[in-house]
Amino acid sequence: MDITTLGGQLLGIIPLGDIVLYVTTFNLFMFAAALVFTVLIAMSKTEKQVEAEFGTLNDREKKVGKDEFKVRRFLSIICGLATAGAMITGDLFNFTLFVTLIGIVNIGIVSAVKEVDVLDSAFQYGIIAMLATLPLFGGAALILAATGTLSMFEIVNIPSTAMMIFGSILLFIGVAGESGVAPFFATKAEMFRTAGSPFLVIIHLSSLLVIVRAIEVILLISKPF
Amino acid sequence: MVVPVPDVVSPVVVSLYIPAIFTGLLVGLIGLMAIAYQKRDIHILILTDIVGYGMLVMVAAVGTDLAEALILPGLVVELAEILAISELLMSREMRKLDKTTETVELIPVPINLNMEILETAPVFFAIILVIYGAFLSGFTGGAVAGAGILFYVLSKVTRGVPQNIWEGLSATAGVIWCLWLIGFLIFFVAPDYWMLGLFLAAFGLFIEVAYKAGLIGVIGREEFKREKE
Repeated sequence: MDITTLGGQLLGIIPLGDIVLYVTTFNLFMFAAALVFTVLIAMSKTEKQVEAEFGTLNDREKKVGKDEFKVRRFLSIICGLATAGAMITGDLFNFTLFVTLIGIVNIGIVSAVKEVDVLDSAFQYGIIAMLATLPLFGGAALILAATGTLSMFEIVNIPSTAMMIFGSILLFIGVAGESGVAPFFATKAEMFRTAGSPFLVIIHLSSLLVIVRAIEVILLISKPF
Repeated sequence: MVVPVPDVVSPVVVSLYIPAIFTGLLVGLIGLMAIAYQKRDIHILILTDIVGYGMLVMVAAVGTDLAEALILPGLVVELAEILAISELLMSREMRKLDKTTETVELIPVPINLNMEILETAPVFFAIILVIYGAFLSGFTGGAVAGAGILFYVLSKVTRGVPQNIWEGLSATAGVIWCLWLIGFLIFFVAPDYWMLGLFLAAFGLFIEVAYKAGLIGVIGREEFKREKE
């Protein structure tokens, strides 16, 4: 798999010593999308959940306090920036670090909610995210050992070996666990069931964008076609 | 393509790679089995650290200087995740007990230790450790000097440390952090000035890590102020 086959036009490279960043249409679009969404989130306010009580005329309201709001907004912005970084980075280990940062920040966003059930599922998600660091970093280390470089711009030119394919499978398991997709989604879906919507949406968006980028990275490394 | 390993590397080291990978995966599996048997959340949290060790083994198995540089972020990520999850666990237990109004102390500093040695020894020890740390420089030196400053703080707690000093220290740590970043950038942007970059990074990191102790002082300040009143 060539970089241009997957990512469209190669717009340029940024050589920083060993690490050569490359910018393609695909990367640039995802990067810009993540940044735009981060800006939107930085300007927004949280929703209020209002439910009508049965049998009376009262409303039940769930609000987010000011301190909690500030912490959540800060962590959401960090999460958005980490997602944008994971979209544009050309270094395999930086990619894994951005993914784990997203995982940590996702736990942080829901860590101050009042519902015990949500905290419970966030704890379960955190355990999975911690366990996922083994395949994530392990896969990146295997690829480093097999190719001698972490720059994806260089890895593209190296024909894939069995060790590289094994490493990319491990990497995919790690990304899946860290961003809470397919086999691990159950606890993450429960995490959203609380007030404070726009900040919770970034949890969802970051995992969506990261999984798309992870598939690009894995195709670049394992070159199945 | 097989990446050639330089001849200076002994064949024993090269042959250790595959066993090390298997060891890492095995450690992870043992950790997962232990987690499957455990039912209490706190035990699960502690056992996830074993899986983290498996990750460190796999990264360390690569055995180059780049792998050494990758272990540190891996370790930091492990620590950050375990801190985040333990905070979550604490907040959940506090919600369950409905003790949200009470605050939990992070470090129970005000220990009433009235020993004479705490009046005389701290300055001497702190100076020795800070000088030795400056001689070492870098991360290790920062840790040594930080231990000296921390020892000074903890032993002076009974007499009270002026708060301006600690606020100043933590502010300096932030400024020095920028020095370290600039030094790091010089490596990439202008590799010719690597010596300047190296020294900026080494001493920036030294002062930064040493002054991190100041943050503990800031947290502790609230405690001993209350104790004195």
